[in-house]
Parts: sequence; C-alpha cells; structure tokens
Amino acid sequence: MTRTFNFKIVWFSLGALLVIEALFMFLTLGISFLYGESDFMAILYAALITLGVGVLGLLVGRRNDKRLGKREGYIIVASVWVVFSLFGLLPYYFSGAIPHYTNAFFETISGFTTTAASVVEDVESLSHGMLFWRSLTNWLGGMGIIVLSLAIFPFLGVGGMSLFTAEVTGATYEKIRPKMKDTAKYLWGMYLLLTVAEAVLLRVCGMGWFDAVCHSFTTISTGGFSTKNAGVAAYGAGVHYVVLLFMIVGGINFTLLYFLFKGKLNRLREDEELKWYVNAIVLFSFIATVVLIVFSDTQNWRMWEASFRQATFNVVALITTTGFAGFDYTLWPSILPLLMFLLYFTGGSAGSTSGGIKWSRIAFLCKNVLCEYKRRIHPNAIIPVRLNGKVINSGVANGITAFIAIYLGLIVVGTVVCVLSGLSPTEALGAVTASIGNVGPGLGASGPAGNYAMMPEIVKWILAVYMLLGRLELFTVMLIFTPAFWRK
Amino acid sequence: MRICIVGAGEVGTHLAKLLARENIEIVLLDDSSERLKDIEANHDLLTYVGSPTSIKDLKEIGVDDADLFVAVTPHESVNMTACMWASNLGAKKTLARVDNYEYMQPKNKEFFKKLGVDYLIYPEMLAGKEIAESIETNWFRNHLSFADGQLEMLVVKVRENSKIVNIKFKTGFFNHDKYRIVAIKRKNETIIPRGDDEVLPNDLVCFVTMANNRDFVREEAGKELVEIKNVMCMGGSRIIQNAVKMLPKDINIKLLERDREKSFLLSEKMDNALIINADGRNMEALRQEGIQDMDAFISVTGNSEANILACLAAKQMGVGKTIAEVENIDYIPLAEELDIGTVLNKKMIAASYIYQLTLDAAVTNVRHLTSADAEVVEFIVVPGSKITRHKVKDLSLPNQVNIGGLIRNGEPMLVNGNTLIMPNDRVVVFCTAEVIRKVEKFFN
Repeated sequence: MTRTFNFKIVWFSLGALLVIEALFMFLTLGISFLYGESDFMAILYAALITLGVGVLGLLVGRRNDKRLGKREGYIIVASVWVVFSLFGLLPYYFSGAIPHYTNAFFETISGFTTTAASVVEDVESLSHGMLFWRSLTNWLGGMGIIVLSLAIFPFLGVGGMSLFTAEVTGATYEKIRPKMKDTAKYLWGMYLLLTVAEAVLLRVCGMGWFDAVCHSFTTISTGGFSTKNAGVAAYGAGVHYVVLLFMIVGGINFTLLYFLFKGKLNRLREDEELKWYVNAIVLFSFIATVVLIVFSDTQNWRMWEASFRQATFNVVALITTTGFAGFDYTLWPSILPLLMFLLYFTGGSAGSTSGGIKWSRIAFLCKNVLCEYKRRIHPNAIIPVRLNGKVINSGVANGITAFIAIYLGLIVVGTVVCVLSGLSPTEALGAVTASIGNVGPGLGASGPAGNYAMMPEIVKWILAVYMLLGRLELFTVMLIFTPAFWRK
Repeated sequence: MRICIVGAGEVGTHLAKLLARENIEIVLLDDSSERLKDIEANHDLLTYVGSPTSIKDLKEIGVDDADLFVAVTPHESVNMTACMWASNLGAKKTLARVDNYEYMQPKNKEFFKKLGVDYLIYPEMLAGKEIAESIETNWFRNHLSFADGQLEMLVVKVRENSKIVNIKFKTGFFNHDKYRIVAIKRKNETIIPRGDDEVLPNDLVCFVTMANNRDFVREEAGKELVEIKNVMCMGGSRIIQNAVKMLPKDINIKLLERDREKSFLLSEKMDNALIINADGRNMEALRQEGIQDMDAFISVTGNSEANILACLAAKQMGVGKTIAEVENIDYIPLAEELDIGTVLNKKMIAASYIYQLTLDAAVTNVRHLTSADAEVVEFIVVPGSKITRHKVKDLSLPNQVNIGGLIRNGEPMLVNGNTLIMPNDRVVVFCTAEVIRKVEKFFN
C-alpha cells in the first residue's frame, strides 16, 4: 500500500458519530427531565461535551477527500467503540452514579458491547435517567453503531462498505439490498419494530412503561442490563416468556428476519445455521428441564412449568449471550452448571446481535472434522464442506479456523492473566469467557447473582478489551495492532 | 432506480462501478463468484452468483422491477436470451451486447424491440469507429461531432509551435467567435479554463468549433494536415476488423497476426487489408514490412502493455500517428505521458454509451473522451428548465462543467457567458463523469 493514511476522514467520521451519540444523550436528558431528577445537569454537561467534541472532529476533518480504504475502515470501527464508551461514561461519572472512572468505563463499554457485565451493586438506586442510558447503550451496541450511522445519514458514502463488513458479525454475510444505505435502514427498521413490539407486549404483561422500554432495549440487543436487582426474575411468568421469545429473535440472523418480513419462508426453512441454533436451544432446554424436574422434591404441574420456564430462559439467555440474571443456574443440580457454561462459547447466529463464536462457525467446524475423516480414507477425493448448500471456499474456511483458534487462545491467555491479578481460576475463566462472548455474568462472585464491582482494577481493563474483541469478532481490533497494518 | 447488470466482464464491472457511486441500486450477476469477489468488497452494490439465462436467478435479482437490464456477457446469444427473459419478466428497458454487425443495422431495430431487446451495443464497433475517425483526420486526438457534423469537439495536443500556448485567456487573444476552448488536460488533471489559466506546451486542449472553422483551429494549434496512406495494425482483434471495414478504400492496410490459422480467417474476411502472419513485437518483421514508411500504427491486441510498447517502438521508427488500446484504466495517463497518440478504452466507450440510458430523455448523447477523462453530453433543452432562466455566466453551474456550443434551429453556434439558452436548443456540455447528474438537473 503506497498511499498515506487518510486521518482526516477518521476525524470526520468519529466526529459525526459522536454527534449521534450526543443526540441519544439528549434523549436521555428528556427522560431525566420527565422524571424531574437531580442528575439533569450532569447529563446535560455530558451531552454538551460530547456534542462539542463531535463538532470539533467534524471541523478538523471537514476538508477530507472521500477516500476511505480498508485500513481507515478498521481504525474507525475499532476506535468508535472506544470513543463511544469514553464519552458514554460521562453521564455516570458526572452524576456520581458510578464515581470511579474505571468502573464507569467498564459499565459503559460492557453496555455498548452488549456484554452487560455490571459493576453497579444496587441497580434500583440508580435514577431513571441513568437506567435509561444504561439500557440505551445496550440497544445502540446491539445492531451496531456504524450500521446505525449508515442508516441515519450516508456521510460515509462508498467507503461505508468496508465499515459495514468490519462491524457486522459472522464469517460471511449477505447484503439484503443493493445499496449499503438501504441495507442499514432495513436492519434498523426491523430492529426498531421488534423493540417496539416487545415493549408493548411487556407492558401488556404487567410491566410499567419505563421498565418495559428498558427491558426491550436490552433484550433485542441481547445485552442483558436490567432495571431491577433481581433482574427479570422480579417479574411474573408472562414477562419471562415475552423476554424469552425476543431473546431468541435477537439471536437470529437479521438477514433471515428480513426474508421473514418479506414472506420468503423457505429461506428460513433451508437455513442451516438456524437449524443448529434452534436445535441447540431445544436440546439444552430439554436436558435442563428434565434434570431440574428429576432433582426436585415436589412434583406438580406448577413446578414442572416453572422448571421448564427457568431452564429454557437460562439456556436462551446464555446461548444468545444476553445473560439476563434471572435464575442462578450455578446453584442448579448435577452437571447443569457445566452444561450452561458451555453455552458461553457458542453464541447465536451470525449477523445477529449476539456474541460468542456463532453457530455457523461451529457448524462448519463440526462438518469439517467429519469431512477430515473421509479425506483420510479417500486421500484423493475432493470433499468440500457445504453450508446452506454452498461450498465454503478455503479462504473462508481458513478464516473460521483461525477465528476459533484465536478465540480459545485468548480465553486461555486472559484467564492466566486474571489469575495472576488475583482472581480464583474459576472466577477468572468465567469472567474472561463471559466478556469475550459478550454474555455478562461470569462464575463465582461475578456470577448471575453477583457483579464485577469487586474485581481488581487491572482485571476490569482487561475484560473491557475482551468485550471489544468479542463484539468486533477479534480481527477488526487485532488487525490494527499488527505491524503489517501500519507498514507503508 | 434499479439496474441489473449481467456479466461481470470488463464492460459490466466498469459500468457497475460507475453507477454504484450514484444513487442507483445495482445488482451484478455472473456465474463465477471469483469475478464478483473484488467488486463486491469494494463497491456499494449487490452481487449474485447465478446463470444469466436462469429464470429463477433473474427473478431472484429482481428484474421485474428493474429500470434497465444490461446483458454484457461475452456471448451474444446468452445476452439476447437474457434480455428476452428479462423484458418478459418485467424489466422496463433492456440492452444486449452483440458481436454482429448485421444486428446493428437500423432496419432490424424494430425486430429486436419486438423480441424484447430494446438496445444493442457492439463495443468493438464503437471502438473501430473511433479508430477509423482518428485515422481519417489525424491531427487531433479525439473528435466528436454533433448535429450531422456541424458542431465539433476536437481534442488536440499542442506543442511549442502552436500560436495559442503561453497566452492567458483573459488577454482576449482567443478568437471566441470561431472556437472555444472548453477544457485543458494537463498530466492527470482536467482544467476548465478561467481567465487566469493559460495553455502550456504538451497540453491536451479540447476545442469546440463549427465544422467550417476546423482548419482555423488547426492553424492556431500549429498542426499540419498529413494525409495517411499507409497503416500498419498489430493483432487481428475484432476492433481492428471493424475499423478496417470503416476505413476508406484507398488506404493501404497491413495487418500483422501471429496466429497462422487466424491469419487465414482474417484474409477471408477482409479483402482490403494485407494480412501478414508475423508477431508484431518482432522488430525484424516490422522492419521487413516497412514500418518506417507507415503513416500510422494501430495496436489493439487484448494486452494493454504490449499495445503501449508496440506503439512506442513504432514511434521510434518514425511513425507519426499511433493508436493503442489500453484497457487498464490506470495506464491511460501513463500512455498519455509517453506520447502515444490516441488511446482507446473499449469498456469506457461502451460504459458511457450505456450510461446515457440511465439519464432522462432530455439527453440524446453521452460520449466518453478517453484522452481527457471526461464526458461530453448533448442535451435537448426542455421548455421551462432551469438552464433557460439566466445567462450562462449567472447560472452557477458546477465547477467541472463547461458549455461548449449549441445548435438552434439547425444553426450551430458557440456559447459564451452572455449566451441565453433557449428551449429546444441542443446543447453540447463538457463535464467530468461525477457531475453529469447535477448538470442534468439544469435541463429538466
């Protein structure tokens, strides 16, 4: 690459994105105003600072040439998540809701990456404005900041393409409209529609409007922040089923949802990843339900229903990496805690709002392993791996294998570092896996019943990096730290 | 607007890239995912792997609501079939790339329309035409004519000996009644001249003039009229076959083709050219065939590098005029700098022809000026359009635009700042590709 790096467009894009963030802060300001809360001024300051810096970025980069290459794309995508978190923590910090800087950053980035690992011990003590902002970070991060900005205003032009590919999850992806702008609009349109639908259903099931909106923000984005200390468990069965349904939807590839809206049902029926995803949910829920029932002392209808509900809820919450702290599965009998922990790794579908490895990659890996046996038996046979009837070419295959290897490698490295920083091995493994998978609750003290407040400061920073790595699927972040990326 | 392009060859991809920059939905279909991979990653369009003649695939890419369906695979019959399918599935306009001179005849137009193929394009013929034109009138690089040749655009490379070099426009030296300079191409830059600009030696200058003033322009530009009698061509490609067909009969043509079988075929097809079975890159063979006596050398093989080098070699041997086909767009300024006379680019010629179909009816013609990297558009002024409201200088047109001339009631005239454009004028506008749509707004 001989051309110089186009810094101006990076400033310009980041500036524009910060302006968008500021707009959402003003929305939060409205909520705070509505409830007449004392942290009104804090949010106002935060919004004004964000807006100011955003405009500054626009001014600095205003005379950019529109050239936006792959490298600029990666830089913008990776840095925007960090920058968003740096400014997104201001409301917490100014209002004193989370007074410590590290904690505030942790809370924000865990919000944007839809990890929803929290350092807040008493969630219910937070003001409405703070709770709303907390849920909103989940919601914005779910579909992706870049995708949102592409939908709102097409300032990124042609180069938006490389940004889009850097942010959307999955090994391969399918564009649903010829124009990037339209694709982004459709995605956010569906996202918004689903959010509204869930909020209404939650309201019907007895939640207040504020909680309904906050929960629908964090469900469809597979984030997992709740407005209650007890999480979703604080509500009745109806709420559980609604949340359950929308978590499942959030874990499905949005391209497939688009086809659903368009009435092309056969696309859904034929999709292999969806099959794996649904089968996994059914299988794990079934096992968990049976084990719970078998190990229970009382046997009646009410208990069976509760077992089924809790089992399915937990399986779905973990497989979609929502991580709603509903029912503490670490206290469950037999091998269930281990089984549940396995789900930390898998994640939902590619192109969904969930994190983790994603089922398409797992499906490929399993098929490839089987094919490898065949290849050993027939050394000269050409045995391609097919997914959705299409042959996976070796480039994509290498990408998937590398992804899984790096993913697992990072977990090992992270666990070791966290243990050295003073965590117990179980806690370290849980926290690292939950962070990179964007799940949220880990094991032990940071488990479903606890939070991350007690973690050493250094661990919080490491976990924050892991969340970002997981959300942007490793390569986008890691690439910019390789020398080759910067070499002229 | 939605455009489906079938065939991700050179013309198809170039067109797709060109159109994807605008607010047009592009779907590009090809049966090879390899060919689609690059364009998919770097451009804002949708690609689809499928067969051009599969009804299912055509439905899948949405031809039913396509405003334009373009079939530009290398195979004529595939293109034709795809267009018929598409227009019957609901595409509004269809265009097929063909390979057959017979199809292009005006009398067959209705016939194809009935079949569902609205437009035909034969890129090799368009390129051949350009070659023939630049051989016949050889002192300029490019030549476009409007309204039956009454108004012309000439692209000339000016040297030290020209009368117009090193004179600023504001001095009033230029005779604006007889010609107008609409643009100057210097290195990689296209300059729309203002008062402070001047013409430098080795600039490419775009003149708009009336046909009867052509000689005046030639004298101003310091060019002499050389009659071309002997032409040597390298490679028997389809472009050259078309060019030879269109050249006057009194020109002697020698065609070098290295493939023996093909040489026989060529000699059957072309009776006015002498076919020589030799490699055009072999200097000895060139000398034997008397390259030093040639007035022009044309190299239009499929290999851009070979074309450029062969033309350079011919220049060194003393050939005055050389024409090279350069398909690699990045090489065009390079070839320009090396002083290769006329540079042809088949896909750009074809693409700008197709591009005009995406513009509104007020546009009659869009032509690409390869040497100046710009487009020349001919508009018919609709009554009440924005362009008729003010004098040209008060219109606040975009910077990269220059209105060259117009034809009013069949009379050609040049346009200057004080001209007021009237309804139903045919206006010749020089502009860069990015601003065509902006200019179009002035005419609607």
